[in-house]
Amino acid sequence: MSNWHILAATDIAGEHLPHFMLGGYMLLLVWLCYLGYRKGKATEEDYYLAGRGQGAIVTSLTIMATFFSSAALLGIPGVVYRDGISFFLFALNLPVAGAAVYLLGDRIRKLGKARGYVTPADLVGDYYGGTEVRLLAAATSALYVLPYVIMQIKAGGYLAQRLFPEAPPLEFFGSSFTMYETGVWALSFLTMAYVLVGGMRSVAWTDVIQGILLIFGMLVAGLATIVYFGGLGGYFEAVSTLPAMALSAPGYSDKWNPGMLFTICAFASLGSIIQPGQWMRFYAAKDSNTLRKSALVFSVVLPVCFLFGIMLVALGGQILFPPGITAEGIIPHPSVGAQSSEVDQIVIVMIQRVVPEMLGITFGAVVVTMILIAVLAASMSTADSNLHALSAVLTRDVYDRFIRPQADERERTWVGRIVIVIATMAAVALVEWSQKAGAFNPLELISQLMLLAIAFSSQLLPIAIDVLFLNKGTRQGAIAGLTAGIGLVLLLTIKPEWSFGITKIVHVSAVGIAANAIVFGFVSRVTKKVPQKRIDEFRRIIKAKW
Amino acid sequence: MLKTRLSKILASIFLFALIMGPGPGLYLVNPSPNNPSTTTFLGMPVLFAWASFWFFVQAGVVLVAYRKLWTNGKDLDE
Repeated sequence: MSNWHILAATDIAGEHLPHFMLGGYMLLLVWLCYLGYRKGKATEEDYYLAGRGQGAIVTSLTIMATFFSSAALLGIPGVVYRDGISFFLFALNLPVAGAAVYLLGDRIRKLGKARGYVTPADLVGDYYGGTEVRLLAAATSALYVLPYVIMQIKAGGYLAQRLFPEAPPLEFFGSSFTMYETGVWALSFLTMAYVLVGGMRSVAWTDVIQGILLIFGMLVAGLATIVYFGGLGGYFEAVSTLPAMALSAPGYSDKWNPGMLFTICAFASLGSIIQPGQWMRFYAAKDSNTLRKSALVFSVVLPVCFLFGIMLVALGGQILFPPGITAEGIIPHPSVGAQSSEVDQIVIVMIQRVVPEMLGITFGAVVVTMILIAVLAASMSTADSNLHALSAVLTRDVYDRFIRPQADERERTWVGRIVIVIATMAAVALVEWSQKAGAFNPLELISQLMLLAIAFSSQLLPIAIDVLFLNKGTRQGAIAGLTAGIGLVLLLTIKPEWSFGITKIVHVSAVGIAANAIVFGFVSRVTKKVPQKRIDEFRRIIKAKW
Repeated sequence: MLKTRLSKILASIFLFALIMGPGPGLYLVNPSPNNPSTTTFLGMPVLFAWASFWFFVQAGVVLVAYRKLWTNGKDLDE
């Protein structure tokens, strides 16, 4: 049964329930964008950091919404559906990232406020001096951001296909757009519009709505799954009938061994929490207490949403829609998809089955639509934060430093907006091109880029730890460490066989961090120290209680 | 870093939870794919119970740190 049948099998609003709910959601975003614009001031600090005055509720929800992209409701449940229960342990990375929100984030906030930083490269470039560290940090940030924006835009296309699978192509100014293309354009245009107009304030406020929708979607879907199986006892009884391979590590794909899970939880989690969008959210937080509360909410709420919400749905999918194991690999049940990459649609298929069972057809259709909008919200909340961060990185770290250092604040803010338009159009063009590229498999390539992106952002970790805690590194050490880390990640991603099997045991981000830290430490021992006066100044700011 | 006794204890417990939960400690409970009778514990899947337990340990550490350490801009240094 397609989504359309479930969503249309209600007399609410005729057959237009998804249209009305989606329209209402988008109007809400436009209203928040307008409010952000009204409240904002025409300064760079306000556009990028909302005046550094964001409170605990907004900060908590914007950090959570940015952390989880469409992977929260599509990719991660897809892995559980494909590989079984071993991937539940992935959720233990969330308290690590949550604790880092305070332990790293508050120090970053203090330094940012005291010294006027906007981007990650501002901080590390100022500490180590010179332009090389700043450029490397900016490049690391940009490498992380671009694939993430592309992934989210693609998710918009998939969602439109799922919400309106039988809708005819849309005619617009003489051109015909499929539902996929309409979704890609609608998500891109709306996201771009509110980032352009309202800056960080609009992004954060829309993230609040999107974060609430995400939490609602994950928990309600989990609850509906348990109810469908007759309660927790019935659910676990049904799960216990699954093959032992689905209930043990490393799972069907032989990938989730303890080394891999441990390094993802310990290192990739920290890499994700110091990506440029999150780093800027630390700058934007009002005070220590804001990040302290955000850390607690993140550490507790998100793992609950995963362990007791969306992951239970995906595992239930193994019972209702058992995947098949073939010589080519694991393929989803025909009701879920025809290709191995379509395992990530398990939640969309499951909610159609289990939600109406719990809530009835009419109210069930409303909730199914809300959960589908939550998937859209997850994509938009990550795309907006990353577009906004990319704008700051290219304007502050490249345009302002190397192209027009004499540009005033107003000019830089407008250049930032132009960057957002160009980046969005480039991402849409790439998505459209990849969709028509025939035998070339763009999704696979972009998935690889996404994993590569997390490994890249993890390379900022050694220098971040040094600046915030240790103060032992040098400029030459930072340059050499970053280059070694990024270079090794790139090499092992292109040629995984050159790792001699290490990347099958531990995540590539950990290999990169290890190389980075060793080179950083060694070169720092034999090169000129950072001036003591600068170290003392940084320590004084970090020690201050505000 | 880690100057007080409480901060050392909490950091140790958190690291232990990380090693035991998703890390090598998993080998202690990981069911054998050839023996389905070892896949459940008190009626629920062993790995689900394992993940949930270590999550509660991690969340407990964060909660204690939130209440006792992360106050007035302090952190594990204090």
